[in-house]
Amino acid sequence: MKHHIFNASLATLVAAMPAAAHYGMIIPSDPMISQEDGRSVALTMSFSHPFELDGMTLETPVAFSVTHEGASTDLLGSLQDAKVMGEPGYTLDYPLERPGTYIFAMEPQPYWEPAEDAFIIHYTKTYVTAYGDDEGWDTELGLKTEIVPLSKPFGLWEHNVFQGIVKMDGAAVPYAEVEVEFFNDGAGAIAPDALMITQTVKADAAGVFTYAPPSDGWWGFAALNTADYTLPQNGEDKAVELGAVIWVHFEEWTGQ
Amino acid sequence: MDRTVIRAIALACCVIAAPFGAAAHQLVVFASVDCEAVTVEAKFSSGRVTQKGDVRVLDGENNLLTTLPLQSDGTARVPLDSVDHSSGLVIEVDTGSHDNYWIVTPEDIARKCGS
Repeated sequence: MKHHIFNASLATLVAAMPAAAHYGMIIPSDPMISQEDGRSVALTMSFSHPFELDGMTLETPVAFSVTHEGASTDLLGSLQDAKVMGEPGYTLDYPLERPGTYIFAMEPQPYWEPAEDAFIIHYTKTYVTAYGDDEGWDTELGLKTEIVPLSKPFGLWEHNVFQGIVKMDGAAVPYAEVEVEFFNDGAGAIAPDALMITQTVKADAAGVFTYAPPSDGWWGFAALNTADYTLPQNGEDKAVELGAVIWVHFEEWTGQ
Repeated sequence: MDRTVIRAIALACCVIAAPFGAAAHQLVVFASVDCEAVTVEAKFSSGRVTQKGDVRVLDGENNLLTTLPLQSDGTARVPLDSVDHSSGLVIEVDTGSHDNYWIVTPEDIARKCGS
């Protein structure tokens, strides 16, 4: 893999480093389904550390839906149990009846993270286009917190920039912090420093962030903010980290 | 879904499609099917409805079965009993400056007919 091996000699060092960011994940078999690909898309849902391929248990989500042409459909009952990165997750084969952009979104159960003394809820989504029609690629779902794409979230070459607006309750979040992580599935990327497993960018005053990946593959963007409410844990009110997660695929450049 | 069939038809169609160039506003062609007819839809990638164009219907062996005009709402209807669809259908839409196609496989028809 031409871009993925950063520094193989430091692999053992990195392996000893603490785990990086938690990510909700929705990974489609293909973000751009053509008619030659068939009439459906296969989705894999997990909760993990994607760079290190370190799986965690994804409990039954609170909600899982698809939105197409402005209509949302509840798919929670269609999820199939699966092992993802060695831990419980879900899969789904979803038929694509018509052209356009399908946005798959998941609200997980609050995850208690003792190390952070807080709950984590990652509102996770990804965009799939069907049959050459990209209409709806900039759809805002109205989630509690959400990254609304300014760049079309598919059909991007590696090294293209991806831009999005971080929103909370429908309003842009100035200077929001956005963590970025590569889904290191089969790529063999090795980070020379733990700081390079999860990179961080900040949005500007309008809540807009920009990132250009070094390689093709799936990249996860997680905008993290603290909720304006708490949840109880052992009789105490604990903070809740709300993550707006979007998974975007970048395609390998085919030129010289 | 029988991808072999889809790809075989697609390959045959590409021979026709290859000479046409893609432009900035691509033509998006889709066809849905039920037990009675194929409904063809065409629009530009900008979202505008394609108001004029020719719809050519070919069989899986690339034989032209019929040609009909696109309606002003960007649709056309092909009754299934008017064409031999046993090997699938290739639906081409050609506006003169843009073109694209959709493949209706025998499995598409069988699935919608519940057989």
